[in-house]
Amino acid sequence: MTNTNTQVASAIGLDVGTSRIVTARRKDKDIQFAKQLNAFVTIPFSKLTQGVLKKERIPHLIQDSEIVVYGDESERFANLFHKETRRPMLRGVLNKDETESGTLVRYLVTMLTGEEVGDGKKLCFSIPAAPLGATQEVDEHEAELKSMFTKLGYDARSISEGLAVVYGEMESSNYTGIGISCGGGLCNVCLAYLSVPVFSFSIPKGGDFIDSSVAEIRGEPATRIRTIKEESFHFNGHFANKIYDSLAIFYEDMMQALVAALKDTFASVQNMPKLNRPIPLVLSGGSAMAPGFRDRFEKIMRDTELPVAISEVRLAPSPMHSTARGALVAALSDM
Amino acid sequence: MTIRGMVVRLVEWRARSFTDPAQRLQFLQRRLGPVPSSRRNPWRALSRMPIVTTVGLALAGIGLVPVCRRTLGLALPFVLASVPATPKVQIAPPAPTQSASAMPLPHVWQVEANHQFDLYSNGLRIENRFQTSTEARSFLAFPRQQIEARAGQRLTKPAGIVFHTTESHLAPFEEGQNRMLKREGEGLLEYVSRNHSYHFVIDRFGRVFRIVGEADYANHAGNSIWADETWIYVNLNQSFFGVAFEARSQPKEGELPVNAAQVHAARTLTEMLRARYGIPDGNCVTHAQVSIYPAGRSAGYHTDWAANLPFEDLGLTNNYARPLPSVTLFGFSATALLEGARNSPLAKGLKAAQDQVRADAAVENLSEHRYRQLLQTRYRDAITALHANGALQENN
Repeated sequence: MTNTNTQVASAIGLDVGTSRIVTARRKDKDIQFAKQLNAFVTIPFSKLTQGVLKKERIPHLIQDSEIVVYGDESERFANLFHKETRRPMLRGVLNKDETESGTLVRYLVTMLTGEEVGDGKKLCFSIPAAPLGATQEVDEHEAELKSMFTKLGYDARSISEGLAVVYGEMESSNYTGIGISCGGGLCNVCLAYLSVPVFSFSIPKGGDFIDSSVAEIRGEPATRIRTIKEESFHFNGHFANKIYDSLAIFYEDMMQALVAALKDTFASVQNMPKLNRPIPLVLSGGSAMAPGFRDRFEKIMRDTELPVAISEVRLAPSPMHSTARGALVAALSDM
Repeated sequence: MTIRGMVVRLVEWRARSFTDPAQRLQFLQRRLGPVPSSRRNPWRALSRMPIVTTVGLALAGIGLVPVCRRTLGLALPFVLASVPATPKVQIAPPAPTQSASAMPLPHVWQVEANHQFDLYSNGLRIENRFQTSTEARSFLAFPRQQIEARAGQRLTKPAGIVFHTTESHLAPFEEGQNRMLKREGEGLLEYVSRNHSYHFVIDRFGRVFRIVGEADYANHAGNSIWADETWIYVNLNQSFFGVAFEARSQPKEGELPVNAAQVHAARTLTEMLRARYGIPDGNCVTHAQVSIYPAGRSAGYHTDWAANLPFEDLGLTNNYARPLPSVTLFGFSATALLEGARNSPLAKGLKAAQDQVRADAAVENLSEHRYRQLLQTRYRDAITALHANGALQENN
């Protein structure tokens, strides 16, 4: 691989997540990240509102008799108008119930890259591993995104989200280990050996599952639960606050499901490579960021018998960026 | 070892000479073949590689040595993009309220230390069997006059103590309940130890257990704010010790949720920590005083010890009436819960803080609302500074 500046600058790693879209680009010797909430909210159209949004440079588009505010600002507007944000994606794939989901993802990606056209740049975007029995849905999602990015002028290819975590965080083990991305819609898992994926899968439990479950029990809007979860929740054991208690319960449920699925997958995989040493496991994604998450997950892992030895359970240094970073590494390796 | 095993080892060894992650990945993929679709089992194809191919692969790997060496100078470290600082608010922070009756630092020394317990000259005995470790304490504190990325200073000496209640299940404190009391206590200690929840727990028999080592942080305070005469502390897991009583909060004033043995143990522990680390009296506070809800910009989110911490019995000045720094320095408002508890001791601190904000707004010739808005941007600055210094996660 040559390493000229032109080529270095012309690759993009893209994490297309249910909750957030994150881009990674190499600039000089650094990697720069940008992210936006993959969400939107609609408000009634008025020229006055439109004027204010334009003046304040708030990303929006006009659809019929509504203004659609998207990205990070959507959450602020949702709180302001006591509404729930809506998602262009659901459980890791484009949301079929939102007719303009593809358009919104395109707007968000364009906003993050700052480019209207791709000019043939390498772009590697993440896709979820198919949950059991839902292969077709992921295939359609992948095809739609690839078509969109190709039309924008990128040389686009996809990468499984779990594998992107391996590429983003496991350079030190020669891309051998288990990468887990605990995202908004799904938890994606990949075991790779020397960069080659052995298996990938996802479970349909993630941050949204936790938010909606707690919201239902506590009678609060899911948006508020998400804010509380992201801003102040930690695994501290004994809470005076009942929302924290419920969050802990559903986090635990998600982790148990994840470890059980990992165990089942190991049991069903044929032709496992012979691993000559214990392998690392890296946790990433927004839902893994709650303080104490790693410790709790490690405890569940240690209590579960897996056919491979795990050398360490590590939280990625910057969990929100792992997938985009790995996608960028994959894009650069294609050059 | 099989030939294939040797080849894989060789490829791994070669790959390690690439310091650039993309180049290392490219090398591995070229040696081991392209990454197939994620929905087939790609390893199967790899594992069926004939020996001839793998030997050839090894030789190709050896042939790449000079290329690998050339790339050693092309290390490309991953550095996160820096977060741009938000505009600085041009408001002088209010002067701290001086405590005229601050308790002097006691003199306590260690008598004995072993794996099982530590003994101190004031009778304090700390049990070590549940001790765990996290990471060494290191936190960003802000000078009162300046909250911005460059002004934050990284400190390692603990600045204060936050008192908590465990809010765990409690059996009746009766002689006939001994077995249950012990079982619940052990369960709690195992739980908080696993989760690194506090530095110390005082059980219902007044025994002090070390949960996280004094040099490490513990996950006890979450989103929180406190300030002394010199520094502002944002998120106190790293900067303050967490001391928890095995107890449940009693919101009504005068109802003490702990027993005499626990109070005595807390006094000796507080004395030791203050003596050892020079902790000022005013930095010994309750979780309710420091806890915040950032999204709502509100104070008093957690409510443990919102009332009834026996400050005087712990050798401390009762500082419930002290203006809450989250309100005076960052313009936070009270949670509905705190607003509702008009007669609680903490409400006095809230009222004092609200009065101070009104007075400071008048001095700045601003409406209270506008002044609060400007103060709140200071909190954003503080969080931005923590982000910029990579300190947010560790402080949370």
